[in-house]
Amino acid sequence: MRLLQSALFGLFALSLCLFANGPAVAQDAVKIGVLTIRSGPAKPIGDDILAGIETATQMYGPVLGSPVELVIEESLFNPQQAVTKATKLVQQNQVSGILGTSTIETLALLSVADRLGVPIITSNSGSAAITRERCNRWVFRTNAEDLMSALSLQELVRLTPELQGAKWFTLGHDYPWSRLVAESVKGVENLEYVGDTFAPLDTTDWAPFIAQARAAGATAVIMPVTLGTPLLQFIQQANEFGLTNEAMLVSPIGLPDWLVAKLGETSTHVVSAGSWAAWRYEESDSTTRDFNEAFFEMHGRVAGMQALQSASAALMLYNAITKAGSAEPEAVVGALETIEVNTPVGPLMFQPDGRQALVPLFLGPYEALDTPRYGASFGQRATAFPASKSLPKTAAEYGCNLG
Amino acid sequence: MNFFFVSVLNGVVYGCFLLLTSLGLSLVFGLGRVVNFAHGALYALGGYALIVGMHGAGAGYWPALILAPLLVVPVAILIERVAIFPIRHRPEIYTLLVTFGISFMIVGAIEYAFGTGTTLLPPPAPFVTTVDIFGNQYPVYRLLAAVVSLFVSAGVFAVILFTPVGLRIRAVTDDPGMAEALGVNTKWLLTLVFGCAAGLAAFAGALGAPIFAVHPEMGTNILLDSFLAVILGGLGNLAGSVIGAFVVALAKSIGGGYVTDWSIAVLFLVVAIALIFRPTGVFGRGRVA
Repeated sequence: MRLLQSALFGLFALSLCLFANGPAVAQDAVKIGVLTIRSGPAKPIGDDILAGIETATQMYGPVLGSPVELVIEESLFNPQQAVTKATKLVQQNQVSGILGTSTIETLALLSVADRLGVPIITSNSGSAAITRERCNRWVFRTNAEDLMSALSLQELVRLTPELQGAKWFTLGHDYPWSRLVAESVKGVENLEYVGDTFAPLDTTDWAPFIAQARAAGATAVIMPVTLGTPLLQFIQQANEFGLTNEAMLVSPIGLPDWLVAKLGETSTHVVSAGSWAAWRYEESDSTTRDFNEAFFEMHGRVAGMQALQSASAALMLYNAITKAGSAEPEAVVGALETIEVNTPVGPLMFQPDGRQALVPLFLGPYEALDTPRYGASFGQRATAFPASKSLPKTAAEYGCNLG
Repeated sequence: MNFFFVSVLNGVVYGCFLLLTSLGLSLVFGLGRVVNFAHGALYALGGYALIVGMHGAGAGYWPALILAPLLVVPVAILIERVAIFPIRHRPEIYTLLVTFGISFMIVGAIEYAFGTGTTLLPPPAPFVTTVDIFGNQYPVYRLLAAVVSLFVSAGVFAVILFTPVGLRIRAVTDDPGMAEALGVNTKWLLTLVFGCAAGLAAFAGALGAPIFAVHPEMGTNILLDSFLAVILGGLGNLAGSVIGAFVVALAKSIGGGYVTDWSIAVLFLVVAIALIFRPTGVFGRGRVA
């Protein structure tokens, strides 16, 4: 009887220890919010963003001796939803930082960033205003912004003789970014610009717009078309009409690699004027190679542009928390301002007194690989264009005043 | 002049394609006063049925193109019997809302089964090329798809005009009460027509797959264009739908070519003017629902 009592008491004590230990581990975890697209046509972009963060988290390991817990929320690519979910992440989940946002979400979060009071590091937002005139002390960016891309386009033209003598045409969606790209092309000296057309955002049949490019005699078509299905449809139809035999297709910010895989051989008609990341940068950077291998092992596919970028943002955050010695937001922001980290897009640091990462852009054509790698048969031959050339002025000169 | 020719050609080709989807919508409305907002989703289902046929069953493109509508028709018949039949005699708004909900369910089911990604399908081998038309390189497959669409549409008209079933469809469209009194089984006729209309949409989705790619939301735009065509032609008026489809397609193509920034406004302006002056469609025989 006494033996039975002892055994029961032992079991009770053991279960108490187990229950007490469980929540303690969860409480100790460093919680990071991932606010990204989890449904709809742009989901593949969100998939890449999430996969990049997951891989970086696994590679980096515990932060301050604690495991990292990713709290994933759906943004629906919608500003209101983004604000609601970010508020939930901070107030309910008590995350130490937010990763994974794209332009729409980041612009929405700018207005509530002071209230949220945690660092937000975006890796997929093009709008220059985010780190220029609308910069906020809580909001950082690791990907290159639109105006940096405009300068890399000039560099691409300088490096590519066929493009120097080409007749340039802008064929994009009808929104501000496309017109910005068109203006930047027009701004390149000694370049013959023969016209532009901006299709409605819901365009599925690109035939009328392809006809315009042809009628203008275009031999280089820059295509600021929404990443995802629309860009896929446009390139496929440009190829179907034989436009790719007459003109080089220029992507202002590169192609996601899942899109390159779908395009296959057709992708070789495209040259990137400034990708935010490129997995083949591994040929000159071992950090990129290590990441690519870990990504492939974890997800079974090549690390795409958004994955490499989101991983870089995650690594910046984890290193900042480590340097700060705590996940306290003010301390992490202070650390983010000073750290330099080797990431899959190269060594990164943020602009002094600013929030834009001094990140390279990657220029070059898409081509068939001699040997498939990480499951990819096509990829961008990437030449890095350093931030010193794409972002030559100080943050204040670009209109960012954090004072 | 050359650019104008290409714009018209693009419009005619898209018009042939739009005709397929518009006829189905018009038929269903004419017969049962059903405003079928699930038509776009059924079109998407056709695209995925093609993928199932090609990649799942290992069929070639042409057999899979025939198979696609055959796979979708039973689904549509089930939808009609379960969701539309019970509310058939209620005002149009009921079927509009129900089919609107069904379209979300179909798209959700597609996303669940196939994911949200886009699938590119190349045209069948002999047609992956362009042909010179008065100095313009034009994709052969687009021309082929237009011709096939025209033949199928002509077949639909032949059935309506020259067969006993077509006679019943016309009778019910003109006066359902009288047709029922004369012994026409209107209930099963609508089920049959709803299924066939879905088959037409599915066929269009499969035929258009090598041009527009396959993705869950692929039916959204075609639904809008088809409704515009049907409204322009007169709700329930098949001959009017033909005119409507080509007017919408040409307005999109020529508008897109010449006044790109205003192309959507031009399209809706054309429809608005038509509705003001001819509210019952171009032939004045449609219904004002």
